[in-house]
Amino acid sequence: MNWKKVFAVVRREYIERIRTKAFWIATLLIPFLFLGMLFVQVAVMRRSGGERRVVVIDRTGHLFAPLAKELARQEASGGRAPRAEPVVRESTPEQPPKGRSIHWVLEQRPAGDIEKSKEELRKEVLAKKINAYLILDPEMLAKDEVEYYSTSVSEFVTQTQLARAIDHILLREKIAARGLPPEVGNELDKRIDLRAFKVTESGTAEEKGAGIVAALIFFFLMYSTFFMYGYQVMRGVIEEKSTRIVEIVIASVRPVELMLGKIIGIGLVGLTQYFAWSLVAMNLSLPAIAATFSTTDMVPKIPLSMLAFFILFFLCGYFLYASIYTAIAAPFNTDQEAQQLAMIPMAMIISAVAIYPAVMNNPSGGIAVFFSLFPFTAPLMMFLRTSLGQVPAWQIVASVLLVTGTTVGLAWFAGRIYRVGILMYGKKPTIPEILRWVRYSPGKSPAPAREPS
Amino acid sequence: MDNAIELSHVSKSFGKFPAVDDLSFTVPKGIVFGLLGPNGAGKTTTIRMIMNITAPDRGEISVLGKPMDRDAQNRIGYLPEERGLYRKMKVLDHLYFLAAIKEVSRETARQRIDGWLDKMELRPWLNKKVEELSKGMQQKVQFIATIVHDPDVLILDEVFSGLDPINTALVKDYLSEFRSKGKTIVFSTHVLEQAEKLCDEICLIVRSKKILQGNLQQLKREQAEGQMRVALKASQAQVAALPGVAACQAVNGAYVISLTPGTNRRDFLRKALESYDVESFSDREPELVEIYLAAVQKAGIETRDIA
Repeated sequence: MNWKKVFAVVRREYIERIRTKAFWIATLLIPFLFLGMLFVQVAVMRRSGGERRVVVIDRTGHLFAPLAKELARQEASGGRAPRAEPVVRESTPEQPPKGRSIHWVLEQRPAGDIEKSKEELRKEVLAKKINAYLILDPEMLAKDEVEYYSTSVSEFVTQTQLARAIDHILLREKIAARGLPPEVGNELDKRIDLRAFKVTESGTAEEKGAGIVAALIFFFLMYSTFFMYGYQVMRGVIEEKSTRIVEIVIASVRPVELMLGKIIGIGLVGLTQYFAWSLVAMNLSLPAIAATFSTTDMVPKIPLSMLAFFILFFLCGYFLYASIYTAIAAPFNTDQEAQQLAMIPMAMIISAVAIYPAVMNNPSGGIAVFFSLFPFTAPLMMFLRTSLGQVPAWQIVASVLLVTGTTVGLAWFAGRIYRVGILMYGKKPTIPEILRWVRYSPGKSPAPAREPS
Repeated sequence: MDNAIELSHVSKSFGKFPAVDDLSFTVPKGIVFGLLGPNGAGKTTTIRMIMNITAPDRGEISVLGKPMDRDAQNRIGYLPEERGLYRKMKVLDHLYFLAAIKEVSRETARQRIDGWLDKMELRPWLNKKVEELSKGMQQKVQFIATIVHDPDVLILDEVFSGLDPINTALVKDYLSEFRSKGKTIVFSTHVLEQAEKLCDEICLIVRSKKILQGNLQQLKREQAEGQMRVALKASQAQVAALPGVAACQAVNGAYVISLTPGTNRRDFLRKALESYDVESFSDREPELVEIYLAAVQKAGIETRDIA
């Protein structure tokens, strides 16, 4: 290996990519997109509040008034369930967030002819005069059921609040019917607040969700950059072939040096991009996020260890996938031809996302341990685990070793395909042909199935 | 170490197809060596094996006295047949890059490139991207890239293909200059006229086999052995009837005469002068194509297969 030459390739890859407009657009735009997404989410959360006009047909004849009263009470307390603790907590005085709660406008209609009323109400719902209508029917209530009609039946907040309010008033009724004092109802309504404390070797700290948010942001960032940079490696290899520069370069640089230089160069571009993003985030996003939530509670505090693990597992995963993408690109002349095989690393990366909820649920369970050691999902999964909780050191070491070992093997494999593939023009080779290239030893002929030119 | 390149018994096949079959030749230092043959004869494969881009199945190749290594690689300038450039790179950066992978420092590269810019009329294009250049301009850039490390040996695969007449002349000038410095040039072509004007030695490959090799002048002499060109006032039949004439052909107002073995030129001329008005006579200078066709015939290959 002649590192001087490798460095020349690294330098070219790095400088040429850093100079492109695409790099700067991605570098500047992605933080703003993230920020934009956050704003949209907050906006959606706000919109989930607002007025709800609900018509109630109360066939029991006595539930409407308590329901209206209960909903009004919930509204006043910020749409939350009563807490076991008094509403005030030391660090964060909890006020009903403005604009986020639902304002209920209830209207009672006479029971009358139920089918006729339903038909009228259906029209009103469709005409958007009311949001929904609710039927409180004694027979249904006996079966613990209440009917709710609306154009949208996925407004969980609305439905949950209604259900909770109805539960509440029914409970009061039952308590009253048994002749128990009404305070019993309040006692039964209380819910406990489970406060989670994350235990690590460095101490114990209350986890309010922000750490998990940060871990997930980094997780998805890593996920998308594997795609982005893996794909860039693939395109770079194909471009060298399709522009016919490769043979000129190969006359001066060994194929393995060119391959390594390319992968390192593009990897450095990735690290540069992360660095730029973190600068943007520090100066722009974090204050903006803080302002959005008007609380410091939700601003992700990113521990240094998370950053260190992020860089470590990004590099592990990047080299792994970049090797795969190199092998996939080398035999082909156009992106389209390579597309089919590019599904392989894509599926590997996506599978990590399919598994992550299971890992989040139980970060030290069997599934989590398996997929954080399985080389093709390990970089993403092990990173997620290290940021969710304590992971035994041996597992981290094993994971890194497994990924590194697999990468070395794959790089060897990719190098074999690469040195033959880059000189192959013409018809798209078949997979058996490509695999045959791997078997030829370096001193021997990398005998392709047909003449190269 | 007098040979720039040596091949001994080199073979290479792609699957069942033999690309190069038991090829041996040597290229002494300081000459222009032409690797000739029709398309698909195995020239590019041979050159790629010399460049260590493809490995031979059998046989030995040495470059500058030893198997191709780093040092040799940096002393060779190679222009492949399939050549291109990074389209998005600026011309100067591109030249720096190609110099860097030959381990030429930026400063040295800058000086050498500078010397070529005016000769090639490339100066105004230095900071343009390659894709903005015309094809001819790109070829000039490629050519500078091939020689920017001041190589001792140039290996050029179909160097003139796609070059316009002006660039062809430029490259020919440079090759003469390069040779006069005592450096070695190996080039492949399927256009015999180009080889004829440039080569000191040729190696002819047809259907993956070498069928002829040698010094071009000597080959020409051998080809014209026992032949002469005579212009005289007589019909072809009359000339053919002269003693010692094995064959007679009318070519451009004169006759090319092959003498029977053992016939002395002087005897033939005396006879011719006695009978007819002889206007001129000379050695015959055979064209390369004739040598080529004769060699092909001798090798027992039908000419229509290789045309």
